[in-house]
Amino acid sequence: MAAVHSARWLRVRRGLCLPLTGRRAAICGRAPSSRFYSGSAAVPEVEGAGATGTEEVVIPKKKTWDKVAVLQALASTVHRDATAAPYAFQDDPYLIPTSSMESHSFLLAKKSGENAAKFIINSYPKYFQKDIAEPHIPCFMPEYFEPQIEDISEAALQERIKLRKVKASVDMFDQLLQAGTTVSLETTNSLLDLLCYYGNQEPSTNYNFQQREQAEELEEATEGNNEKPQKAAGHELGVTWRAKNNAERIFALMPEKNAHSYCTMIRGMVKHRAPTQALNLYTELLNNRLRADVHTFNSLIEATAFVVNEKLEEKWNNILDLLKQMVAQNVKPNLQTFNTILKCLRRFHAIGKLPALQTLREMKAIGIEPSLATYHYIIQLFYQHENPSKGSSLIIYDIMNELMGKKFSPKDPDDDMFFQSAMRVCSSLRDLELAYQVHDLLNTGDNRKFIGPDHRRNFYYFKFFGLLCLMEQIDVTLKWYKDLIPSVFFPHSQTLIDLLQALDVANRLELIPQIWKDSKEYGHSFRRDLKEEILMLMARDRHPPEVAFADCAADIKSTYESQDARQTAPSWLASSLNCIAVLFLRAGRTQEAWKMLGLFRKHNKIPGNELLNEFMDSAEASGSPAQAIEIVKLAGAFSLPICESLTQRLMADFTLSQEQKEALGDLTALTSDSDSDSSSDSDNDVGKGK
Amino acid sequence: MEVCRQLRGTCNIGQASYKNRKLPGVSRALNTSEVGAENRAARGRLGKGEKLVTCEEAHAPRHVTHRKDWLSLHTGNLDGEGQAIERTVEDVFLRQFLLGSFPGCLPDQRVLKRQAHQVEICALVLRQPPVHRLYFLVGRGETLLSHFYKGPVHLQTVPSKIVYI
Repeated sequence: MAAVHSARWLRVRRGLCLPLTGRRAAICGRAPSSRFYSGSAAVPEVEGAGATGTEEVVIPKKKTWDKVAVLQALASTVHRDATAAPYAFQDDPYLIPTSSMESHSFLLAKKSGENAAKFIINSYPKYFQKDIAEPHIPCFMPEYFEPQIEDISEAALQERIKLRKVKASVDMFDQLLQAGTTVSLETTNSLLDLLCYYGNQEPSTNYNFQQREQAEELEEATEGNNEKPQKAAGHELGVTWRAKNNAERIFALMPEKNAHSYCTMIRGMVKHRAPTQALNLYTELLNNRLRADVHTFNSLIEATAFVVNEKLEEKWNNILDLLKQMVAQNVKPNLQTFNTILKCLRRFHAIGKLPALQTLREMKAIGIEPSLATYHYIIQLFYQHENPSKGSSLIIYDIMNELMGKKFSPKDPDDDMFFQSAMRVCSSLRDLELAYQVHDLLNTGDNRKFIGPDHRRNFYYFKFFGLLCLMEQIDVTLKWYKDLIPSVFFPHSQTLIDLLQALDVANRLELIPQIWKDSKEYGHSFRRDLKEEILMLMARDRHPPEVAFADCAADIKSTYESQDARQTAPSWLASSLNCIAVLFLRAGRTQEAWKMLGLFRKHNKIPGNELLNEFMDSAEASGSPAQAIEIVKLAGAFSLPICESLTQRLMADFTLSQEQKEALGDLTALTSDSDSDSSSDSDNDVGKGK
Repeated sequence: MEVCRQLRGTCNIGQASYKNRKLPGVSRALNTSEVGAENRAARGRLGKGEKLVTCEEAHAPRHVTHRKDWLSLHTGNLDGEGQAIERTVEDVFLRQFLLGSFPGCLPDQRVLKRQAHQVEICALVLRQPPVHRLYFLVGRGETLLSHFYKGPVHLQTVPSKIVYI
C-alpha cells in the first residue's frame, strides 16, 4: 500500500515536474504519504542541488517487442562485407559476376527460372496440394488463376474482377445485362475500377522487370521533351484511352452513378492520357453536385498539366483553381497532392521555382511530412541544366541540412530517384562535403532501400566515385575504391580512367599494374581508351625498374594481339606501340623491344622520334652497330626526317666495318635522294657529302 | 553353391552341430552362406585401381565419421525424435529431382542439411554449363522444391572438377 501511495504521489510530483532528493525519496518510501510536499515550499537551493545527481523516478511504459526484434538487433551488429558479392549470387568464383552486364544477366536468369517454376506450379496445382507445413504457409501453395464459378451471376462477375480478367468480366457483365438482372452499384464500380486501371486491356502476364525498366527509361526521355505530341510515345509506353471503349460504354449504361464512378473514370482517363475528357467529366461531376475525393483531385492536377496548347501561367492558375475547389469541397490534401503539383511544376522550368517553394511551405504548414520524392522534384526543378555557370541556387545545401539524420519510409513511387539526382547535383557542383552528406544520409537507418534499381545505383556510385577521384586525397580514394568496387558496383572504364588520373596527380603511378589487373577482372581488357591511358601514364616519365611496368606492358600487348587475332580491323595505335617499346627498353628487355619494331612495320605505324633515339641509346649500350643500322634502315623505310640525325649519330658513335659502311652509304644515298627531291636545293650538298 | 549343398547333404554339418559339440561355445561349423552374398551396399568395387572413383564411393559405410560424413543430416534419428522415415522419403525425392535437373553436371552425391523446416542442398556442379544456365536451374529448382516441400529450400552450388582418388 505504501508503494501504491508513493507511486501515486510520484506521478503527482512528475506532473509538477519537480525533482526528488535522495532523502525525500526515502521518506516517502516509508510513510504513507498524506503529506504532500508542495514544491513551492522548496527552497531554491534544492533545485540547484536537483540539477546534479538527484533521481527522478519515471516509471517507463511497458515495451512490446516485434517478433523479429532479436534478429534485427543481431543484424545491426554486422556491417556490409566489402569483399563479398551480393548475397543473391552463389558464392563461388565461377558464379560471381565480374561486370554489371553479367550481374544483370545472372539475376535475370535466376528470376526466369523462378518464373518457369511458378508457371509449372500454377498450371498443375493438383500435385502441390499436400500441405505438411504447420503452421500453414500460404505462399507455397499454388495460386488459382481460373475462375471457378461458371454460371452467370453477380458472384461470378465479382470473382472475375478479383482475378483481374478484363475481357471475361466485361463479357459476364454484358451477359448479365442481357439476362435482365441488374448489377449492383458496388459491383459496377469495381468493374469500372478494373477497366480504368488496366485501360481496357488485359494485364500483361509477361510482366518482368526488363519491360518495366525500358518503360521507365522511355518515360524519362519523354519527360525531357514534353513539347512533342505525346501520342507517339503513348503507344510505345502503354495504353492510350480510346474513345467509346468499354469503360465509357459501361459508364453510359449505368442507371445511377455515384461519386465513386465519376472518380474512377476521371482517374482512368488521366492515367491513360486523355486529360481533356477527364476535365470534362469533372465538370459533369460538379454539375451533378457530387464531390470528388483526394485521389481524383490529384489526377485532375496532373490532367491540367498535361493539356497541350496552353500557356504555363494559365496552367498554374488552373491548378490553383482546383486547389481552391478542393478547399471548398472540404477535401484534405495529402502527400500525393503536393508531389503531383511539384511534378507538374517541373515542366514549367524557370517559372516553376517560386510556386515550388510556396508549395513546400504550404506542405509544412499543413503538417504533411515531405517524402524523398518531394525533394527529388525540387532538385530537378532547380538544377535542370547541367552547367552551373548560370548561377545555380544553393537550395541543395538547405535540403541536405534539413534531411540529415532522417530515416524515411517509402511513401511515393518516385522516392528512389532522390539519391540519383542529389548525387548528380553534387557532381556538377564539384562539392565533396555535400557528397559525403548525401552518402551519410544513404547509410542512416534503412535509407539504403531508396537507392533504386541497378542502373540508378550504378549511376549514383559512378558519380560519387568520380567526384572522389577528382577532389579527395589519394589514400582516401583508394580506401573507397577497395570498399566500393566490386562489391557495390562494377566500374565503368571511365571510372578507372578517372582513378588513373587521380593517381597521376598524386604521383602514385606505381599502383598502375594493380589497377590493370583489376580492370582485366572487370572485363575491360579490350577497352582501347583505358589501355592507352595506362600506357601513356607508364611511359611518360622514367621510373625505377622495381616497378613492374614492363610486365604490365607485355600483358597489354598480349591483349592487343588476341584482339587482333579475332578481329580484322587493326586495333593498334602508334602511341601505344611507342609506349610499349619504350617500356621494354627501359626495363632492359631488348629482345621484345626489337620485336616491337617489327610490329611497327607490320601495322604500318610510324615510330616516334624519342623512341628511335632510345633505340640508338640501347644499341650503343649493347655495343652492336648492326642494331643501329637496323634502326637507320627502319627510319629510312618510313622516310622520317630524323633519319639524317640518326645516321650522323651512327657515324659518330659507332665503329663500323667496311661492308657496314657501304650498306650505310647505299642507304643514305637512297634516303638522301628522296630527301633531296622533297627538300630544297641547299640540302643537296649535305646529303651528297655523306 | 553346389558344393555347399552337397556338403550339407552328406555331412549334415549345419544341423548336427549341436550333437557334435564337446565343449560349450565351440562348434565346428562351416560357413554355409552362399558365395558372393556378402554385403555390397555403398561399397565401390575398386579392383586394382584402374577405375576412377570419387572419395565418396571409395570408402565403405563403416568409414562414416572416420573418413567421410553422412550425406543427409537431420535430427530424425535422435532419441525421442520421430519422422525419420518421412525424411528418408523426402531425401529420395530430392536426390532424384536434382539428378534429373542437372543432367550430367553433378560429379558427386548431394549433401542435404535440414535445420528447422529449411532444407539446404549442397551440390557440387561441373563447370560445364554456362553460368546463366546454372542460375536458371538453381532458381527453378529452389522454387519448385520449396513448393513441394512447403518449406524454404536453399540450393548451394559449388562448381568444381570431379575429384578422383
